[in-house]
Amino acid sequence: MRNQIAAETLKVRYSRSLLWLLGIGTFFVVVSNLGLMSQGRGRVVAGTSTAAVLTHDLVRNPFAYLLFVSMAGAMAVSGEYQNGYISRSVLLSGGRNRLLAAKAIVSCGVGALFGALAVVVGVATSYGALSSIGRSPVFDRETWLILGGVFLVNVLAGPWGTFLGWLVRHQVASVSLVFVMTMMVDPALQRLLPSVGKYLMTIAMSSVYRDDKTGLLSEPIALVVIAAWLAVAAVAARKLLASRDIT
Amino acid sequence: MTRQDPARFDGFTKTFGTTTAVEDLTFALRCGRILGLLGSNGAGKSTSLRGLLGLIHPTSGTATVFGVPYGELAHPARQVGVSMDGMGFVSHLSGRRNLLIAARAADLAASRVDAVLDQVGLTDSAGRKVKGYSTGMRQRLSIAAALLGDPELLVLDEPANGMDPEGIRWLRTLLRSLADEGRTVLVSSHQLAELEQTVDDVAVLQRRLLFCGSLAQLTEDGSSRLEEKFFELTATPVSGAAVA
Repeated sequence: MRNQIAAETLKVRYSRSLLWLLGIGTFFVVVSNLGLMSQGRGRVVAGTSTAAVLTHDLVRNPFAYLLFVSMAGAMAVSGEYQNGYISRSVLLSGGRNRLLAAKAIVSCGVGALFGALAVVVGVATSYGALSSIGRSPVFDRETWLILGGVFLVNVLAGPWGTFLGWLVRHQVASVSLVFVMTMMVDPALQRLLPSVGKYLMTIAMSSVYRDDKTGLLSEPIALVVIAAWLAVAAVAARKLLASRDIT
Repeated sequence: MTRQDPARFDGFTKTFGTTTAVEDLTFALRCGRILGLLGSNGAGKSTSLRGLLGLIHPTSGTATVFGVPYGELAHPARQVGVSMDGMGFVSHLSGRRNLLIAARAADLAASRVDAVLDQVGLTDSAGRKVKGYSTGMRQRLSIAAALLGDPELLVLDEPANGMDPEGIRWLRTLLRSLADEGRTVLVSSHQLAELEQTVDDVAVLQRRLLFCGSLAQLTEDGSSRLEEKFFELTATPVSGAAVA
């Protein structure tokens, strides 16, 4: 198992697509935070908002890295089906379950990398936004809970992506699925049927990074829901990987 | 026959939907010999090899390596080296990096990478991206990956495809030297003339096993050509099981 994790880590180190996702993700998060900064600073100066609220918004917003983490996870699996490397991976792994586990574990590491970057971007933009108006970011309990939540959802988005990759096995389809679910289906369902939508993966994640939307699950319940989604996806991925031929 | 045959098929059958790709395949390989698995396109060669390696599940029957299903081998890369048609590499990485990943996965020393690159004559191209490799160079890299674990059994699917005459001669010499060291080689091909110069034993497959035995037995000690016998067999299919 240690060897499989080491090999998967090496693949990540050599991966070009991961660098692209990291770069694109950072671009979108920074641009988005710059927008929040310009709006938020004005409100703080006008007295209609506080430094604490702006800090919370800016450290929360980089949760969006989770989309790119999920894509990286999906591509780590489906890309191997695309280039035919999956047969080699399976043969060298000494068991399909080991390969599935190794990819999931390494994707947590990738999620931790993105999560750490999300924390850095959130904190840095908070300093940038508030110091420019002679204020300091507020690191209260809520800020730390948001930062912890942002980091955690990024870590968990990794295995979520890999399990979807195992289920779909096609690179474009798996990445599209991640995008559509995260950006369209989950938010739309949450708006239309909030009593159901709050139990979806990415909406449950928004409870963990303490989104200020109403009607979300409490954090403990959200963590249970996320664990359940991961467990269902893992079991389905394992079952399909074990039963399907690799041709 | 012992349980420790390097590779063994017992009634191996694989169907895809309503199509039977391989039916009731039964034969075994003997240690230290090269067995050529012959058949036309679509005869079931690759399906059989993938079944032997556990990549596809048999509809019925079994396929084992060293007495167990491939998935139960303790150190698969040290026991079985594989080069399969369609088993790709990460094309934007160099040949060396591809092999380093494989070596890491198989818990092999990184020094094995340089050793096998040298063995297949790719040392000078090891730093180049695989997407810049010719088909013959990819075949050599695939064979290098198969040799990484210094395995007892080699399973090679169409290894000569895309190789130039020099590469084919090199491959023939390599396979013979591996067999002389006591290793067993299972090689599938439809290049009959080439195979005739390389193999000790032959299994002819046309969905079912048509023949399995020594090359000398099939060609009547060289009085007939392999090609001639192959077309005789495939024109008049017979069923049966055999041991090489």
